[in-house]
Amino acid sequence: MKISIRVFASLRDFMVPSLELNLLPGATVGALLVELCRMYPPLDTAIFQSPGTVREFVNILKNGRNIHFLDGLVTALQEGDVIAIFPPVGGG
Amino acid sequence: MTDTSERYQRQLPLIGETGQERLSTSRVLIAGAGGLGTTIATFLTVAGIGFIRIVDEDTIERNNLNRQILYREPDRGERKAEIARQRLVEINPEIEVQALCTHIDDQSIGGMVRGMDIIMDGMDNFSTRYVLNRAALRQKIPFIHGAVNGFYGQVTSIIPGKSPCLRCIVPHPPSADKVPIIGVTCGVIGSIQVTEAIKYLTGRGDILTGRLLLWDGFRGDAAIINVVNEPDCSECTGEWAGERG
Ligand SMILES: [Zn+2]
Repeated sequence: MKISIRVFASLRDFMVPSLELNLLPGATVGALLVELCRMYPPLDTAIFQSPGTVREFVNILKNGRNIHFLDGLVTALQEGDVIAIFPPVGGG
Repeated sequence: MTDTSERYQRQLPLIGETGQERLSTSRVLIAGAGGLGTTIATFLTVAGIGFIRIVDEDTIERNNLNRQILYREPDRGERKAEIARQRLVEINPEIEVQALCTHIDDQSIGGMVRGMDIIMDGMDNFSTRYVLNRAALRQKIPFIHGAVNGFYGQVTSIIPGKSPCLRCIVPHPPSADKVPIIGVTCGVIGSIQVTEAIKYLTGRGDILTGRLLLWDGFRGDAAIINVVNEPDCSECTGEWAGERG
């Protein structure tokens, strides 16, 4: 199944701003992140605090909904989903 | 031609006499008089917003001057809100500006936002932004969120009853560490925030409700992410989730 990924701000230092991935049916957001980190190894420490734990301020939206309010890393993906990953900025 | 219609001559074709009248009777709270706040205050002032309340507890330091465009070298040590007020009424004597050199928290915010038409986010930390978000929800006042870090910025317009709140979009804030910051990014993001305010107050254009604009000045790229209300949000408790499209 095809999943679109868009990343923002400092994460763009580690990978392309957007891409499409073909994942096996049933894949989760966690599996997607692991795949991204395999493709772009420096992304790993930018996203993960420790294996399996995403840094708290890295917001991951599935079709506009923060996975914090869904099932976190085990949130299931469906064909055509758009995943946005952004570390929000906080200065002013 | 009166002084007033001459002052706004070049924007009247965009918003009309009625729109200008709406701006001149509007009351706007600017929370923070830093990089975002001074940009926001400047453009609200030249646009002719009738009443501006600007709040900041800090004094001016030299390292503010790369981005906080209302202050000058000799202002160091003075209170930001008060200097901002003086400069703004010099720029446009037809408006009223009130300076509050006060800390913003859940106790003080209620009185600050009462009677305001819009709350503008000029803060430099998320804990105070959540205070503004709560006050906006409680008093049903639009809250125009903006934030910056380096060449990156973000903007969204939170309209209670119509859009997700700040906590729906950013349940976990970035760390409160001091971030690199450059004037141009404050200029871009603050200007977009004022664009949002003018559209809202004059009832024109499409507002960034349910949409987060992410600015990447480093790559010259702006993107929009659509965002939705969260039934489990701890701030708005998904009060408006039923209206999800
Ligand atoms: Zn909310």
